[in-house]
Amino acid sequence: MTTPAPGSNLLRDWTSEFISLFANILFAVSLFGVWGLLTLIGVVVDQGKDPSFYYQNYAMPLARLTLRLHLDNIYHSAAYVGIIGLILLSLAVCTFKRVIPARLPPLRAVKIDKIPLNATVTVRGEEEAVRNRVESFFHARGWEIRKKEIGGEEWTFADKHNWARRGVLVAHIGFVIIAAGTSIYWAKGFSGTTTVISGQTITIPETNAVFHLDRFGYRIDPITTKSGVVYQPIDYVSRVTYAGRDGVQRHALIRVNQPLDVDGTSYYQSTYGFAVDFVVTKDGRPIAGGPDHPLKEGEAFPIPGSTRAIQYSQFVGTIDRRTGGQGADPRPNDPGVVISAFEGEKPVGRALIPLGTSIDLGAGYRLGAAKYTLYSGMQYRYDPGIPLVGIGAFVLLAGLCISFYLLPARLYVQLTGSERAWNVGIAATTVKGYDIFEERFRELVREFERSEQPPKPTSAGSPALRPI
Amino acid sequence: MDPTKELLDQTLLKIAMAAYITGTLVFIWYFLARSPLMRKIGIALAIVGAVAQFAELGARWNMTGVWPLTNLYGSLSLFSLFGVIVFIAFAFKYDLWFIGFGVLGIAAISFGYATTWNEGTMPAVPALQSYWIKVHVPLVIASYASFMVAFVVSSLYLLKFWFEERLGRGTNVRASVAGSGITLEIPVRDDRSSFVADAATAGKMRVTGVGSDTPNITAAAARGDALGIWLAGLPTLAKLDIMTYRIIAVGLPLLTVGIITGAWWAKEAWGAYWQWDPKETAALLSWIVYAMYMHLHTRNSWRGRPVAWVSVIAFATIVFCYLGVNIFISGLHSYKM
Repeated sequence: MTTPAPGSNLLRDWTSEFISLFANILFAVSLFGVWGLLTLIGVVVDQGKDPSFYYQNYAMPLARLTLRLHLDNIYHSAAYVGIIGLILLSLAVCTFKRVIPARLPPLRAVKIDKIPLNATVTVRGEEEAVRNRVESFFHARGWEIRKKEIGGEEWTFADKHNWARRGVLVAHIGFVIIAAGTSIYWAKGFSGTTTVISGQTITIPETNAVFHLDRFGYRIDPITTKSGVVYQPIDYVSRVTYAGRDGVQRHALIRVNQPLDVDGTSYYQSTYGFAVDFVVTKDGRPIAGGPDHPLKEGEAFPIPGSTRAIQYSQFVGTIDRRTGGQGADPRPNDPGVVISAFEGEKPVGRALIPLGTSIDLGAGYRLGAAKYTLYSGMQYRYDPGIPLVGIGAFVLLAGLCISFYLLPARLYVQLTGSERAWNVGIAATTVKGYDIFEERFRELVREFERSEQPPKPTSAGSPALRPI
Repeated sequence: MDPTKELLDQTLLKIAMAAYITGTLVFIWYFLARSPLMRKIGIALAIVGAVAQFAELGARWNMTGVWPLTNLYGSLSLFSLFGVIVFIAFAFKYDLWFIGFGVLGIAAISFGYATTWNEGTMPAVPALQSYWIKVHVPLVIASYASFMVAFVVSSLYLLKFWFEERLGRGTNVRASVAGSGITLEIPVRDDRSSFVADAATAGKMRVTGVGSDTPNITAAAARGDALGIWLAGLPTLAKLDIMTYRIIAVGLPLLTVGIITGAWWAKEAWGAYWQWDPKETAALLSWIVYAMYMHLHTRNSWRGRPVAWVSVIAFATIVFCYLGVNIFISGLHSYKM
């Protein structure tokens, strides 16, 4: 006989404790609670903003806390990914430790009157005939009958919706499939954004697909509401000529809700804007080193020969000529651009320039905003995990429905008595406790009791029962 | 806009609102006095309100040509309508009319609040111009409505439980530990006092149920205490617990399908099925809390009061997800100006 090494005992104990902890439903629920709390923080705290945003919009201690604990990017934090990992681990352990073993419970004798849902019906007849009647009664109502002799006594067991005991297993499998589908995207998928100015051609780096934006169109309608006129976007559409892997050029429209699929990668209409041609002159003559292409909002360029930079901050569709500021109508009726000047990193001024005019930058320099060209912003995404996520969602839903709407139950039936008077003891257990089955059990017993009564010549009906 | 259609829309709106408000008052009367007549009137008013509101949504669609779910006005209207429909369906099947005051009251409040968001006819923004709006929004709103009904039932559970504990005060048993001088106060409580219900049925049949779960209320009723008699007339705690479970068992799959269809729609509209938008994550939060409810309900020791509290908290997350996020937090589903 060999003595097990202390290390192996320790490992066994540790494994046993680990399994018992992770198979515990209350532990799983606690993990759900932490997941919920982290998710709530993510909803309340703005996500993915620049640190300056938090300092400007939050109280200083909250801003510091947010940034120090990385609450600004909580969904991609180690804590968030870790808790989902723990939930998946708990789900796996629970599945193998609790859900799969809990298939069909063994056929065993019980003390009928110790089970809260129990009934006794006295019937008459030969023992074999009574047994047959009991079995055929439950069998006719969809119960699966099994018989077993235990301790010299014959027991009848009736089961219903046994297969539905696997509902939780199905739901867990669905959850795992969704997680697998999501992981496939992380491993093999990609996504990105791009912009293309009308009349220009771009190549998507990941796919080498080529897009030429023939024209971008939009529709914004003024709508009169109870609060006044609002300008409601109605449509955005990019007319493109594209070529995929086969090199064949095709024409297509890309709209919101109508993405374009090219070789398995989807291209979405996500945004649009106004690219503007800027001209920098010195003493009335264009200078070299100024912007050589139309700029999009947010882009900047240096003023040659100085430490200053100019950023194209915002396009203004309609300048309010009364105030000289931005009008409510975003459509380019009387357009202008807002520019910001920077000395190094420091902002030194902002100005609104009507298109077709220029402003004095000092020392003989002038900046002019010439014309605008519409550009389209597109998002693209390749996600090979989507079919799996879809299947997982369907499986999860099926598992939930099986678990919620079907009630696996077992009836234990025991015959006691002698000669021609038999007490049929019936007890019921379910996977969801007793209360949920009480009414159905009572109906079943009533039906059985009625089926055992000889037909009466009068229309007196079944014996009156006081409600429980 | 066609003035006849507008008049029809406004008339139906007023009928629905009047039916819900009156129905709430009638069901309060029924709840307090258990008058069968009030119950019948309440049922009629609930049905009239639901039919009028359904017709109003149809009339609005006909009048504007826009599916009436593109703004908070439309979705809150649908929420109150679905709440009343879920209530009527469960009440017919499980005799739940006693919660009518709560459901119709919330329906009236949400419908009234909805009208404050009625800005007139607005065409849908590009992201909402999709057939998914006809699938995703009704599913999600139906789940919210189910959870609202479950919230009313679990609140009633907690109310009855509170009275049970209150009536139980003073019935503690004093026990002394011999020789130690220590006296203990042990509360008398019997949650599962099984009793024989039909022993008198000609000796043929005997059914034992799970029995009374509010012995203090039963005792108070037996003493002739008016409050006890009134409370004893409410369904058992076990029944309220099961009703909550059954209603949530309808709401949770609806919410699951709602999240799935929303993800599918997001993939078509924005390029990713999950973008961690505040609305998406708030819906996930609600799903998590209801999943907690379902897991806890599998444990005997957690059924009853603990899961009733979980149901109440879970509905708070629904209100946060539905109104809090839409109104106060900027995101893709935002109504924040």
